[in-house]
Amino acid sequence: MSSNKKILVCCGTGCLANNSYQVYEKFKSLTKEKEITVKPLVKPTGCNGLCEKGPVVKILPDDISYFKVKVEDVEEIIEKTIIKGKIIDRLLYFDTNTKTKITDHRNATFYKNQHKIALRNIGEIDPSKIEDYIERDGYEALKKVLFNFKPEKVLDMVEESYLRGRGGAGFPTGIKWKTCASYDNFPKYVICNGDEGDPGAFMDRSIMEGDPNTVIEGMIICAYAVGSNQGYLYIRDEYELARKNMQIAIDSAREHGYLGKNILGSSLNFDLEIVRGGGAFVCGESSALMASIQGKVGEPRAKYIRSVEKGLWEQPTILNNVETWANIPPILLNGPNWFKKIGVKDNYGTKVFSLVGKVKNTGLVEVPMGSSLRNLVFEIGGGIINDKEFKAVQTGGPSGGCIPKEHLDVNLDFDSLDDIGSMMGSGGVIVMDENTCMVEVARYYMEFLSEESCGKCTTCREGIKLMLDILTNITEGKGTKEDLDLLIDICHTVEKGSLCGLGQTAPNPVKTTIEFFKDEYLEHIENHRCPAGVCKNLTSYHINQDECIGCGICAKKCPVDAISGEPKKAHKIDQNSCITCGECYENCPVDAIKIGGGIVES
Amino acid sequence: MKVKINGKVLNAKEGETILQLAKRKKIEIPSLCYKKGFEDLGRCRMCLVEIKNGRRKKIVSSCAYPVKENLEVQTHTEEIIKIRKDIVMLMYLKSPDNKYVQKLAEEYKIDEPKKYIQKINDDCILCGLCVEACRELGTNAISMVQRGSEKKVSTPYDDESKDCIGCGSCAEVCPTDAIKVEETENTRTIWNRKFELVSCKICGKNYTTLETIKYSEKLLGEEIEYICNECKKKITADTFKESFKNIY
Repeated sequence: MSSNKKILVCCGTGCLANNSYQVYEKFKSLTKEKEITVKPLVKPTGCNGLCEKGPVVKILPDDISYFKVKVEDVEEIIEKTIIKGKIIDRLLYFDTNTKTKITDHRNATFYKNQHKIALRNIGEIDPSKIEDYIERDGYEALKKVLFNFKPEKVLDMVEESYLRGRGGAGFPTGIKWKTCASYDNFPKYVICNGDEGDPGAFMDRSIMEGDPNTVIEGMIICAYAVGSNQGYLYIRDEYELARKNMQIAIDSAREHGYLGKNILGSSLNFDLEIVRGGGAFVCGESSALMASIQGKVGEPRAKYIRSVEKGLWEQPTILNNVETWANIPPILLNGPNWFKKIGVKDNYGTKVFSLVGKVKNTGLVEVPMGSSLRNLVFEIGGGIINDKEFKAVQTGGPSGGCIPKEHLDVNLDFDSLDDIGSMMGSGGVIVMDENTCMVEVARYYMEFLSEESCGKCTTCREGIKLMLDILTNITEGKGTKEDLDLLIDICHTVEKGSLCGLGQTAPNPVKTTIEFFKDEYLEHIENHRCPAGVCKNLTSYHINQDECIGCGICAKKCPVDAISGEPKKAHKIDQNSCITCGECYENCPVDAIKIGGGIVES
Repeated sequence: MKVKINGKVLNAKEGETILQLAKRKKIEIPSLCYKKGFEDLGRCRMCLVEIKNGRRKKIVSSCAYPVKENLEVQTHTEEIIKIRKDIVMLMYLKSPDNKYVQKLAEEYKIDEPKKYIQKINDDCILCGLCVEACRELGTNAISMVQRGSEKKVSTPYDDESKDCIGCGSCAEVCPTDAIKVEETENTRTIWNRKFELVSCKICGKNYTTLETIKYSEKLLGEEIEYICNECKKKITADTFKESFKNIY
């Protein structure tokens, strides 16, 4: 007997890595072979957001959510929950904020504070089934637009919603579309930027993997509004599942008459093609992306003539980010006024963040614009792992800045983040705790950018390389005060002199860490000490003889047997054999191990 | 169209860039990677200028920025001079042994941080002129490869290129003599490929590669006589001389 019961197994990338597909298959086979009275429908879905606690399994309509589900748990779930309606306590989500176990995940602090627009379908539908999307109002916006609105009306509505590009710069989408529509030069192209490459960011990936049809629908609406017949999805090559799900969605959209000639019987012709990005970070920059689609070297050009006028193959082109596209159908369906009720002035709607680093709940989060950073880190994120001290948040990827605790109450919107020297970027949020070295963070980003700069212009290519060399010296204990001055100096040249956004924003991590954590730089330079214990040349560990209880854990954990001492007596570290790995520091139950400066230099 | 450069009102042509206008009016803006007829722009950053259009000030590359009505341009503000000096300094750190870069360094009186001079001198400043020259010829044998600080000009996979005709145009436009051309009596080696040289049927001197002649023949659609440039000039001069003889 079939039932209305549904088992949704998260098959987003994070859960897949934790064997969720095997969990899904086990559910499939067990529900098929078992003689059970209720036959549930088993579906794989996109990412639920709380990747750290995956694989996630949701049971509908009972609204029971299980976390960290293993293949071995499947039989029990069917026996107890599906057949008998009982809840398995051990698989419930433990909310660290309220210290309670939660049956319906939507009541958890992680989810309660969220507002899902771009991610509205993800985790609820099988991304490979267009019917699932249609069931949740999919392609309704397109129908409404095609048969009720003139293109001008669509442009007006998008402009009125004041949707701003979610790829990072926050340029008003409506103005972009209107400008492109104003050129009487055909063909025009519509492109989706799916080349997400910021370290720690996976918002766009999740949308492409979990709800590809919303992107397609957004693009068709734009094609209608600006007068385009051809679109491209530029997806980075590493996102295999995103490409696969997107291709399935394109094929089924074509079969259903949403793509191709005379869409849904209207006069609109529009089709889509996927272009695989080669894995260069810079190809997320609009002009480099277009060069790459054309088969050229992925280098940006000076954009004094905008791509809405002369873009792909010198033709008027609309390029929007994945998340921006995902916002289009709901805006057209519900109207700009609905959208403007969410968020804050000039920053309407929501923003998806990938919350990673040293927070308890890592994952994908969608919140109304203007929510505070504190809410994101401490409510939704559940605070810092092991309740260590919060140090900073890096937003906006390598182009963004580090935000210290003084600014924890900053609003998460384009303008507020800009004001404090960081940026929204595509929405990567990396949380750092007291054991993060801010000089090393800056060095890491410069290393990333020196490899990922396209290398076309001198200031970006050589300037970032010099910044990296200086920062490397500082982290190795070879830095001087003059180096720091030179570093500040060169930031300005790179920022003002570079050709594209990558170079112009590259100094941000350096500038903000110097502004907010100058003491830490000086500690490295003057005292040859890395206060966070990260820079190995500038770190040593010591056991405070009064605080040590002689438990011997540190000695057991030490990989090189550098710690000795009798039981219940204070232990000691032999500095000559210590490799400063930090294992003892991390594991001491009474925090008796202290971080000192570099031994060789001091 | 009226454009102001350094306070002077100039008549600009629709569609030209600030740098083109400045060159026409003999106003000096330094630039290393600009060459008339070449498309690719904005690499060296030396031609940065400050513009004011309305109230907003901005730094732009003059080689790529098209002139606009009432645009105000400053070519040598303190900030611009500092950036140019830094650019030369950055080039010097990478190419400390190169004569061209050394001359620039002297001219801009840079104060280079000695400890950041790179140990292995690299003559190439990645201005891209060679790639453009090769592209203009239609051979497209070399291009920019890799990215970031690994970026360089090379043939695909650094192999000998089947598209290269050994014409040497790339080496000719290179301002820093970074492209290696090795010539013996009968051969020329460039981009890892050895070419046989052909000799001029008049003076007998080896002057170009067989591939260059074949490529020109393909473009022209006719056979070319193996005559070197100098002899060609001489022949033309002689023809003139003969014709003048008949007139007078």
